[in-house]
Amino acid sequence: MDVVKNEESNDSTQRYEVLMELGDCHATVGRYEPARQYYNKAASMSPDEAGPYVGLGVVALHENNLDDADIAFRVAYRLNNSCSKAFAGMAMIHQQRGDYRGAFDLYLKCMELDPDNLTALLGLFQASCQMGTFSKIIHYLELYLKMHSADVSVMFSLSALYMKEGRLEESKKLLLNAVALDPSNQDAVNLLEEIEHKISQDMQLEVNA
Amino acid sequence: MTSPLVSIIIPTFNRRLYLPCALGSAVKQDYENIEIFVVNDGGEDVSDIVNSFDDPRIIFINKEENRGKPHSLNLALAKATGKYVCYLDDDDIYYSNHVSTLVGVLESNPDYHVAYSDLYKVYCRILPDGSRQVLSKVVEVSRDFDRYFMFYFNHCLHVSLMHRRDLLEKTGLYNEDLSILVDWDIARRFAFFTDFYHVEDITAEFYSSLEDDDRISIKGRKDLGKYKKNVLAIRKTRPTKPWYKTKDLSIIFDTDEVCGNSINTIGQVVGHTFYPYILYIPMPAHRWAQINSNFANMINVDVAEQVSRLEKIDKALNECEGEYVVILPDGFSITDLWVEKATYALDNSCKNECFELEDSSEYCFAVAARKEDFIKARNQFPEYSLRDSLNAAGLTVKKLNEVASPFEFDSYIHLAIQKEEDGDWKKAIEIYEYLAKSSQNQLWIKTCIVNACFEAGYYNAAIKFSEELNNKRPTVNTLLRHAKICRKMNDYSGAIGLLKKAEQILEGKELIWM
Repeated sequence: MDVVKNEESNDSTQRYEVLMELGDCHATVGRYEPARQYYNKAASMSPDEAGPYVGLGVVALHENNLDDADIAFRVAYRLNNSCSKAFAGMAMIHQQRGDYRGAFDLYLKCMELDPDNLTALLGLFQASCQMGTFSKIIHYLELYLKMHSADVSVMFSLSALYMKEGRLEESKKLLLNAVALDPSNQDAVNLLEEIEHKISQDMQLEVNA
Repeated sequence: MTSPLVSIIIPTFNRRLYLPCALGSAVKQDYENIEIFVVNDGGEDVSDIVNSFDDPRIIFINKEENRGKPHSLNLALAKATGKYVCYLDDDDIYYSNHVSTLVGVLESNPDYHVAYSDLYKVYCRILPDGSRQVLSKVVEVSRDFDRYFMFYFNHCLHVSLMHRRDLLEKTGLYNEDLSILVDWDIARRFAFFTDFYHVEDITAEFYSSLEDDDRISIKGRKDLGKYKKNVLAIRKTRPTKPWYKTKDLSIIFDTDEVCGNSINTIGQVVGHTFYPYILYIPMPAHRWAQINSNFANMINVDVAEQVSRLEKIDKALNECEGEYVVILPDGFSITDLWVEKATYALDNSCKNECFELEDSSEYCFAVAARKEDFIKARNQFPEYSLRDSLNAAGLTVKKLNEVASPFEFDSYIHLAIQKEEDGDWKKAIEIYEYLAKSSQNQLWIKTCIVNACFEAGYYNAAIKFSEELNNKRPTVNTLLRHAKICRKMNDYSGAIGLLKKAEQILEGKELIWM
């Protein structure tokens, strides 16, 4: 018999959730001290959760306090070794310290755990640029686009990489989509023009040959 | 207007640590004309706690022997003099407006003899010193009164209930043979005589720890056999008539003998019927006497050996006492709601309408009608078959699928939940919007709409309903959801304001609904 006994779910994590939300909201608007206080409260409410330490790490990163951020992300990782945000945080610290290889590996770990993590994806892209290697990142950008088919910024990044790899038709197709979605995106329009020009040049060369 | 006396009853057993809070919340009511019974059910001494309040309104009953909660309640009720009675467990708390809120609605609506409010179920962690760390406050149940639901299961928690004391003269006192579901038993019996007034304000809290719960009611429910036994004992309880709000049901079992399959059918009736009934079995008394019948609410109608099937039914019809009658042929398939759909249809039908049960057929005709209609038809056309006599007497025999049935609200909610699980938020919202057009459970439905709109990404709609909801009755959940919507719309200061309100409720600092 279809009888609904409970209206609200039997949730025993509200207080933790409220504290985390408060921490996140304060952190987003740049009020780092209250954010830190709420994350600390959340940590004492649920000592086994990685979330508050990720929050503390993000706040420390914003304050450019890399040592504190490092400690916080490591605690988050220790509490939950599949916490993608902890990997992303540690990667950012490596990146800021100039260890692009270390950053790249940690961003990759993050993407393996959470292919949806845009921060890690862009970090991966930046680290790739800083190292001058791109091949590994194309896969993750493609994966991300499968999930977020209208993300113009990722379309642009991926088409730039395709172009670098000489995959001009794929690059053009992606850019056409990007421009259709956002005609005001001048970078995409410019790159599209450049690619179309390159394709016609290539065709001309073929004809001449 | 004079303020009627209210009796608050607090049974206690070995909870010295929490009793001061509970008792304190009763003493601090903004309604002064109260008497408070603290009944120690043979547990450790609490006289020092009671005396520390130094309040002449407190009456302390110290039982030597532990005899269970119903006994404690009955002992206090025997001494209570209030016009109204309400109950508080020794580890729960009232908000200061609890008594005044419920007295207010009962005094203003004298047709209602019972009122109930909403409660927070407080999830907590017990710290080493025994104190409670609050983790969540959830409105677990907030359902408008539904008599059929009440017959099926409880939807009014004991702590939230206030009733007229004189109602107990009709229902009887608490059943001391029950070890669990004591509150449902009494609320169910109340439902025979009165509607319940639902106040959607949150006026109390009851506590549930994450650790193994020491509540007798929780322990009892883990023993499934014991639980089922108590449920059946409650469902068979029939207070003394007249019932003002419930029509009695007589089920006439049309069988030649009670053995094998028919015993099975009787067992199915007992297991599947929650509407109050008496099962009448027309058969010769000497044969009935040979049956070791231990079923509750079963009556033999003595008939001669050689009488026809219809004559047996007619005799049972004349002897049975229910306002509603169902003819149950032997071999009829009994499932959940088999008879409740029919009684519900009769409740909502016109005179001269009767209802053929689902799965009824030409050869196995099962029908429900008002007794007076049945008698009229059978008296006028005794030689006709059952169906023909009903038709000939001008009764309309309707199919049950043509009319509303009980628990439709729940069926729709279930359907919407299924749609949500399938990710079809749009369809779920449509169902909730359809339900919102009725007057039932408005806050509940609005909460569902907000959640579905949020998940579907319809943030403008979500925020509109969320504002309505939080203006009417904010809960931790609704505030938290509203804050998440604000975040999605980049309104961080709005989100922070809402979250702080939620935090205050969780910390018990402010009663924002007052």
